[in-house]
Amino acid sequence: MTTTEAENLKALVKLQAETTKTIVSDFTQYKHLDFLSNDIVTKGRLHFKAPNLVKWAYNHPFEYAVIFKNESLYINDEGHKSQIDIGASKMFKQLNQLIVKSVKGDMFNEAEFDITYYKAAQKSEVHFSPKNPEFSEFITSFQIIFSKKGDVEQVKMIEPSGDFTKIVFSNRTLNTPVNHAVFNH
Amino acid sequence: MRYLTISLLTFFLFSCGSYPKKQQLNPTENETAVVSNGYFSNAQHDYLYKAHITAYGKTFGGLFIVKKTGEDQHRVAFTTEMGNKIFDFSIKNNTFTVNYILEDLNRKLLLNVLKQDFTVLVKETSPTTKAFAKANTSVFETEILGKPHYYYTKNNTLDQIVKVKNGKANTVFSFSKINDNIAEQITIKHHNIALEINLKSIY
Repeated sequence: MTTTEAENLKALVKLQAETTKTIVSDFTQYKHLDFLSNDIVTKGRLHFKAPNLVKWAYNHPFEYAVIFKNESLYINDEGHKSQIDIGASKMFKQLNQLIVKSVKGDMFNEAEFDITYYKAAQKSEVHFSPKNPEFSEFITSFQIIFSKKGDVEQVKMIEPSGDFTKIVFSNRTLNTPVNHAVFNH
Repeated sequence: MRYLTISLLTFFLFSCGSYPKKQQLNPTENETAVVSNGYFSNAQHDYLYKAHITAYGKTFGGLFIVKKTGEDQHRVAFTTEMGNKIFDFSIKNNTFTVNYILEDLNRKLLLNVLKQDFTVLVKETSPTTKAFAKANTSVFETEILGKPHYYYTKNNTLDQIVKVKNGKANTVFSFSKINDNIAEQITIKHHNIALEINLKSIY
């Protein structure tokens, strides 16, 4: 990708992120562990509401929901409810911010990441490698595929071992009304 | 005084008695050379469980993953539901290797508990030293990592493994809802520490 194309993509994604007030999307998650015969496939629905409410709700093959709200994680694990205070942990706080940002793809922060751009057919792929060694101990690269319009279609998080988690979004709708009650614990 | 002595002696003998005696297991002729656990023996299968772990009053969940990777070799891993890896171990015979563990959990004491639990969980065969019976259950004694373990089987199906320390059940592994040689429900309950692992098969 040329520098101009990269700048254009960055501007497009930033604009898209700024104007996105809500996201509702289905997702399929593939957990790849090298020693397994098949990836572990889980499915669910994502809700996002600006500025920073996120709910990941898995519905297959189990019911599990995690809500990122304020400084806490709210978990509903097949009816077992719990809350984790993430305010105290700098690492969790960063992870939380990253999850919110990656949903919108708005991670173009050169101070935090080494960023490389790739072009594939009508799509763009951007690799964000965390510069902070404390972080790269968990994830060495976030690889995001953007549609022509600058929407996030896929997020892949690569671990140092090469194992990865890939999330593919489908039926993604932007800026439709999302009831605040979705984020109730 | 004599009664007190007898009572104390009875109590002493009872509390220090062997596990089989306390459990009223009747010795039988040992015609089985090895005990078997086939619940993680298919190398073609990815064993996936939804896990609920209760440790010292706190409950947390995740995905528990077991894969047979060779003769007497298994990988045992745990991730959060969102895919973050918590630990990844290799177990070959009784050799335990840590491929990865979250820094916060990298504690010798915890690793030792996990090593003992998972080595027993995936061990496919172990030589029997004694055999017992109780009602319709056959019980076989074996030694794993230097500790006596009792395998409870009903109709040739493994029901429970009990790790024994000082004549008492220390850790109990229970297998239920057996379907096509897969234990769909597994519980590992510790009696000396507040730790219980519940596993429910998801595929």
